[in-house]
Amino acid sequence: MTFDRDPFALLTGLRDWLLVFGGFVGIIFSATILVALGIYGTSGPVAVMSRVWQGLHDFTHLSPKRIWAISRLTILEAWRRKALWVFAVFAFLMMFAGWFLDSELRVDMQVKNAVSFALTTVLWLTIPVLLLLSCWGIPEDIRVRSLHTVVTKPVRRNEIVMGRILGFSAVSATIVAIMGVVGYVWVLRQVPEDHQPRLSGWNRLCLAVGLLPNISIEADPKNDLPAIDVSAKKFCRMPVYGTLEFVDREGAIATKGINTGDIWEFRSYIEGGTKASARYKFAVNDPVDQLKLESRFEAFRTHKGRIGQSLLVRYVLVNPTKSLRVPLPSFEIKEFSLNEQFINREVSYYDEDLKDTRTVDLFKDLVYFDEDEKLKRNVLQIEVQCLDSGQYLGMARTDFFIRLPDRSFLMGYFKAVFGIWLLTVFIVSIGVTASTFVKGPVATMLTFSVLIVGQGFRDFMIKLVTGEQKGGGPIESWYRLVTHMNDTLALPDTVGVQIMQGIDKVLLSGLWLTQHLIPDLSSFVMSPYVANGFDVPWGMAMFRSLAMTIGYLIPCVLIGYYSLTLRELEAK
Amino acid sequence: MIEQLTLQQRKLAYLIGIVLLMLPVILFGIPATGEEGSGGKLARLRQEHDLGESTLGKVDPTSATMNLVLLGMRGVAVNLLRMQLDEEKDQKQWAQMRATTESVILLQPHYIQVWRYLGWNLAYNVSAEWDAVEDRYFWVKEGTKFLMQGSERNNRDPEVYWDTGNTLGKKIGRSDEWKHFRKFFKVDPDTERYKGGPDSEINQAGNDNYLVAKDWFQKANDADEKRAQHIMMDVLFRSYPARSQLDYADALHREGQFDETARKAWDGAYHDWVEVFGQMRFQTGDCEIFLEMPAFENAMDQTMAASGVTRDKLEREINLYQNVSNYRYWRAKSHAEKHVNTAAVHRDLYEGEQLFKVNELDAAQESLESGLKGYKVLLDSYKDLTVDDSAIEEGLWAIMIWQKIYQLRNQVQPPEEEIPLRSLWDKEIHRVPNLQQDFNRKYGPS
Repeated sequence: MTFDRDPFALLTGLRDWLLVFGGFVGIIFSATILVALGIYGTSGPVAVMSRVWQGLHDFTHLSPKRIWAISRLTILEAWRRKALWVFAVFAFLMMFAGWFLDSELRVDMQVKNAVSFALTTVLWLTIPVLLLLSCWGIPEDIRVRSLHTVVTKPVRRNEIVMGRILGFSAVSATIVAIMGVVGYVWVLRQVPEDHQPRLSGWNRLCLAVGLLPNISIEADPKNDLPAIDVSAKKFCRMPVYGTLEFVDREGAIATKGINTGDIWEFRSYIEGGTKASARYKFAVNDPVDQLKLESRFEAFRTHKGRIGQSLLVRYVLVNPTKSLRVPLPSFEIKEFSLNEQFINREVSYYDEDLKDTRTVDLFKDLVYFDEDEKLKRNVLQIEVQCLDSGQYLGMARTDFFIRLPDRSFLMGYFKAVFGIWLLTVFIVSIGVTASTFVKGPVATMLTFSVLIVGQGFRDFMIKLVTGEQKGGGPIESWYRLVTHMNDTLALPDTVGVQIMQGIDKVLLSGLWLTQHLIPDLSSFVMSPYVANGFDVPWGMAMFRSLAMTIGYLIPCVLIGYYSLTLRELEAK
Repeated sequence: MIEQLTLQQRKLAYLIGIVLLMLPVILFGIPATGEEGSGGKLARLRQEHDLGESTLGKVDPTSATMNLVLLGMRGVAVNLLRMQLDEEKDQKQWAQMRATTESVILLQPHYIQVWRYLGWNLAYNVSAEWDAVEDRYFWVKEGTKFLMQGSERNNRDPEVYWDTGNTLGKKIGRSDEWKHFRKFFKVDPDTERYKGGPDSEINQAGNDNYLVAKDWFQKANDADEKRAQHIMMDVLFRSYPARSQLDYADALHREGQFDETARKAWDGAYHDWVEVFGQMRFQTGDCEIFLEMPAFENAMDQTMAASGVTRDKLEREINLYQNVSNYRYWRAKSHAEKHVNTAAVHRDLYEGEQLFKVNELDAAQESLESGLKGYKVLLDSYKDLTVDDSAIEEGLWAIMIWQKIYQLRNQVQPPEEEIPLRSLWDKEIHRVPNLQQDFNRKYGPS
C-alpha cells in the first residue's frame, strides 16, 4: 500500500473513459453489423439497428418505480436467503477478536491493528455474501422461471439489471453500515484503559463518537498523571506532501540516496556529518502563524555511536534566490513514530557569517517562486540533515510533510467504510452482469477472478506482460519446470523454442487485454490510511474509487441489458 | 430378506445396527480424565506414546480449532503467512508482523524450530532495527515472552526453555546495550505501565536478568531429564544454570559492585559449578563420568571396575569434558573470586580507572598499584586464570592506565622491571598493540 498515489484527475479520467468506452462500443457495433451483413444479408444490419434503437428507447424511458420494485424484490430475496446471517459471524469475530490482538504493543500500533482488523473483517465478510447473491440471482430466476412472470409484465430488461444492482447495493449498504458502526465502537474500546483520557462525561461521549479529534489532556497534579495527548491515539492526519531530491556527500544533486541494504527500496539514506541532505519542496499558499511539520525518518547505524541517544537531525530552511539558509534547532529522531516540529512565522537563528542572531519572516523571506517545470509556484524548501558522523538517515517522499489541522477519526474511518461499500457495488455490478449471460457457478468464478486479480495479482500480471517477470509465458514456464531449468538460464535457439515463445506471445496478449480490463481495486481498500492515522484523501482515493465504480457500472448495465435481451430465457 | 421387512422394522434394524457399530467406537474412544491409565484404548495408547496434544504442553483451543478448520491446508496457510511475515518485516511493518507471528504459531504450536526462529527474530532481528534503546528493549521482551509462551505450549521440550534463558541472559546481559537493558530489566522504561518496577511477565520478583535466566536454564535441564535436547553437547547444555550464576557474579563486577553481594554471588557460583554441575553424571559412550571425578579416587576405581576402561582412558574422557566446558578455568575463577581479598583487588583496579577518568591521578596511581600487586598474587595462585582473555586484558588494561598516568604527569616512567605485573606484560606482549588501539580510542593516544 502506498500513500503516494497521484491525485485523481477528473477531466483526464473522463476523457480516457469516453475514449475507451466509445472505442469499445464502436468496435462491437461495427463487428455486429459486419457479421449480421455476412449472415443475413442487408436485413441483418437493419435488425441490428432496430435492436440499437430499441435499446435507446428502453434507456430513455426508464421507470424509477419499476426499478425500485425490482430492487425491493431483490432486497426481500436477500432477506429470504438469510444474507443477514453474516452479522452473526461478524458478531462472533468481534466478540473474541480482542483476545488475539496484542495488547502489549505501543498504543498507536494497537490502534493500527484494531482498525485494520475491523475494516478487513467488514470487507471480507461482506464481499462473499454479495458476490454469491449477485451471481446467483438472475440464473436462479431463470431456472425456476420466476423471471418469466417479470418479463411478461411491462418491465424492461435494463430495469431488471438496474433494479438488481440497486437492490444488492442497498443490501450491501445496510450490511456495511451496521458492521462499520459496530466496528467503530469496537475500535474505540480496544484502546487500553490506562490510555483513555480522564474526561468529563460530555467530552468522553464526544470523544467516543469522534467529535473531538484533537484534545490535549493536561497533567493532573493531584493524581500525578502524565499529560496524554488523545490525538496521538486516534486521529486522521491531513498531510501536504512535497517533492524530494537528494544531495550526495559531495554536494551534488542526486535522484536517490544510499541503499544501506534494505530489501525494500522505498527509502533512501543520507550520510550524517557530510554535505548529504534530503531536499524537500512544499507548495505553500497563504501565510499562517505556525507550520506543523511531521516526519518519520529511519536511522541506520554503521557504528554503535552513543547508546541511549538517537540520531540527531536538523532542518535547514533554504531560499536559494536570496542565498538564505536558516538552520533550525536539531532534535533526536523517534523511529517508527511521530516526530513533530513547529515553525513559527518569525524564525530566529544564529547566522554563522554575521556571528549574530537574526530573525526572518517564514513567508516573506523564505518562501520563493520555484521555476521548476513540475512546480512553477511558491515553495518552501527544507533540507534535512543527519548530524551524526558515520550514521545514516533514511527517508522517502511521504516521510516528511506539512501537517494541516487534523480531521476527526470518525470521518476518516467512515470514508474507508464507504470505500468498502463502493467495492461491493463494483462486485455487484460485475456479478449481476455476468449472471445475465452465464450460469451461477460460472458467474461466481468470473467475478471472483476479477476480484482476486484486481486485488492482488495485477502487479504480477503487469510484470508478466511487460516481460519484467523472468521465466517467460505459460508454455515456457511449464517447459522450464519439467526440464528443471531455472529462469536465469537462456533457452536454446531452436525452432521448437521459437514456436513455444510465439504461442506464449499470443497467450500473453490475452493477458494484456485482461490486465487492461480489470482495474486496480486496491484504491477501494482505504483502511491502511486510517490504520496509519491519515485521513482518506478525496483526490487520491475517494474520487478514484467513485469514478471507477461509475465507470464500470455504465458498461455493465449496457452489457447486462443486451445479454438479457438476446438471451433465450427458456434455457436452463 | 430385507425386502420382506416392513418400513418400521427396517428402521429398527438400522437403529440397532448403528448402536452396535457405535459401541466399539465409544469403548475405544473414551477420552482420558487426565489420570494415568484412564480413558479408552485409544486414549491410553496416546498417553503411552506421547501422541496426545495435551502431552506436548498446554493446549490452546483456538490453535487446535484452526488446524481442524483448515483440514489438510495447514501447510499452504503457513507458507502464505510466512511469506506475508517476511514481506512485513522487509517493509518494517512491525505491528502487523507481530500479529502474523501469532497467526503462524496458531497453526504450528508444536513445531519447536518455529518458536525458536520467530522468538530469535523478535528479540534479535527486530530489536536491532530500532534506534532508541527503550524500543530495542521492548522487542527483546517481545521475543522473550514469545519464547516463554512457546515453552508453556511445549513444556516437555528442553530447547525452548533453553532459548528463553539464553535470551534473558545473553541478549539482556551481553549485547551492546547491556548496561541499559540490565537496568530496564529491574525498572522497565515504560514507567506509565509498570509504575517504576519490572515487567512482571518476564521478571515477577524484580531479580537480576542472569538469575531469572538461571531458573529457565534449570527448567531446561529438568525437561532434558525426560526428553533429550538436540542443540549441543550435554555437558554444555547442563552447565548453563551454573554459567548463569557465574555471569551474574561477573556482571556485578563489570558494573563496579565489589561488596558482599558480589562475593556471595561468586560463592554461589563456585557452589553451583563445583558442587552441582561438577557432580552431574554424563554418559561418554564407554562409561559414566562426572567432572569432579578425579577428586574422588573411589569413584574412579568403581567406574573403571564397572565399565572396564583403563585409568588413562577414563582420565582422557574426563579431561575432554572438562576442556569442552572450560571447567577448570571457571572452577579456579569462582574459587578465587569468592575470597574477600580478590574482590579488593578488582575494586582497586576498577576504582583506579574511575579516579583516572576524573583526573584524580595521585589516588588513581595508588589504587592501581595496589590492585596490580594484588592481581599478581592472584594470578600466581590460580594458574588457570592466566589463560583467560578477560583476566589477562584486565591486568594489561590496568598497566596501560598506570603508564598513561606517568605520561600525563610528565614523570619519567619507572624502569621496565618495576612495572607491576611485568611478568604478565612480557608474556602477553602480542596482545598489547590491539589493546593499545582500544585504549587510545577511549583515552587518547600516547
